[in-house]
Amino acid sequence: MKKLILIIIYTIFWRNFLKIIIGLKYYNQQVLRKKKPFILIANHNSHMDTMAIMSSMPSRYIHRVHPVAAEDFFGGSRFKEILMRYMVNATLIPRKRANSDEDIDPIEVMSNLLKKGRSIIIYPEGSRGVPGVMTDFKKGIGYLVKQNPTVDVIPVYLDGLHKTLPKGKNLILPYNCRIIFGESINFDSFDLKGIINSAEKAIHKVKSLVE
Amino acid sequence: MEKIISNIDLHAQIQWVIAIILSILVIATTTFWICNKLKPSKLVNEMTLRTKSWWGMCFIFLFASTVNPIITYIGLAFLSFFTLREVYTLLKLRDSDRSTLLVCYLSIPIQYYFAYKGWYTMFLIFIPVFMFVIIPFLLVLSGDTKDIIRSMCILPTSLMLGVFGISHLALLISFPEMNEGNISGKALLLFLIFITEANDIMQFVFGKIFGKHKILPKVSPNKTWEGFIGGVISTTIIGYYMGFLTPLNSWQLILASFCIAILGFMGDAIISAVKRDFGVKDMGDSIPGHGGFLDRIDSLSTTSSPFFHLIYFMVIV
Repeated sequence: MKKLILIIIYTIFWRNFLKIIIGLKYYNQQVLRKKKPFILIANHNSHMDTMAIMSSMPSRYIHRVHPVAAEDFFGGSRFKEILMRYMVNATLIPRKRANSDEDIDPIEVMSNLLKKGRSIIIYPEGSRGVPGVMTDFKKGIGYLVKQNPTVDVIPVYLDGLHKTLPKGKNLILPYNCRIIFGESINFDSFDLKGIINSAEKAIHKVKSLVE
Repeated sequence: MEKIISNIDLHAQIQWVIAIILSILVIATTTFWICNKLKPSKLVNEMTLRTKSWWGMCFIFLFASTVNPIITYIGLAFLSFFTLREVYTLLKLRDSDRSTLLVCYLSIPIQYYFAYKGWYTMFLIFIPVFMFVIIPFLLVLSGDTKDIIRSMCILPTSLMLGVFGISHLALLISFPEMNEGNISGKALLLFLIFITEANDIMQFVFGKIFGKHKILPKVSPNKTWEGFIGGVISTTIIGYYMGFLTPLNSWQLILASFCIAILGFMGDAIISAVKRDFGVKDMGDSIPGHGGFLDRIDSLSTTSSPFFHLIYFMVIV
């Protein structure tokens, strides 16, 4: 049932809407063909980013892909939570790492999802930030990869989507924009700094693929 | 389904032109294929790519223009839409222009609705008169006056180039007096597009073969006097022999095709200058080998409305 809803929303509605009206172009989509769970990392400037990534997922495992969203921003009310759960297939996590045993640890939540064979979408920058500018990655991606070294990490570069729906606006406008997928990252070292650095480099490399 | 397809009624002349276009494409494809086998070069590669795109464009155009008039209007409206989108992507517009941009996009269906209904006066005044006032006022309403003059000038101009010009193609097939007696709007549309594109190709070919003296050295280094003159002369000759599509007599035909050739060159030059200002080579990458939509229809956007009014003046008045 959930799968059907997601297919109707993303594979049918959003994909065509983004392609025809917005003018989004998909590059290198074939890297998603493998059915293995993955961590998808992307630069983040707009709410459209999640729509673009979800719409490019193959329909056979779209229900197993979870965008990760901050609880304080997207949660809050019951309605919002249900919307996020069923319409976006999102998993809500707290922004801060757990201090005591009672708190939910965000990294733990994501790791559990990956262990269950689910894939996740995260934005290592943490928030949408300044339009069109990529900020430094937060440490979360480092911890996550360190705990799950066998999972594929797919870098994605989103180009121009911040123009279709900038931060703070609610009018979606057509602009030619691109979503470019890269091959999964080979990490040289699994220390925190090394992971973050190679993740950042990978996204910049994807950016230069189509230019 | 029956209803959609039942409208296929092609005049014998139109069938002739379709046959001519297809045979040109076949000849071009085989020529470039042989050239590629004999002596591969960058130019041949580009030409092969361009010819491939011509096949696509040709089939889309034939499908849109022969199956059902409604599809023609929707197709042309989408052409305008894609063109506007391309321009707005390249223009660095302010964030406060966004709501006005929505109005610009919404003017497309309205303009094409007027074209579909054949409401001549409304069609003519909607963008140059009505939108010309509405757009600056909406920009004022947004409250941001920094650089407002730039947006005030750009947005109406983009509508004139991308919507007003192209929508005359739609008006050609819906205008009542253009479809009476021996005049067929569809044949006129085919004539206009064929001559405009032939002009583009001829100017390109003559420029490549004989080109020496640059005509606009600062704007477009590819345009030469030889290409321009050769293009205009050959286009006029082609137009003269394609005259069976139109109700015009010989001198009118020569005048019309001459005007199309000159205007096509002007449109091409205008868009070249715009691209130079943007600092890009092509407007987009939607059509392989050609660039974006505006790269292909740059000349059509300037030839279509003068051609319509020339026909109106010569045949109907």
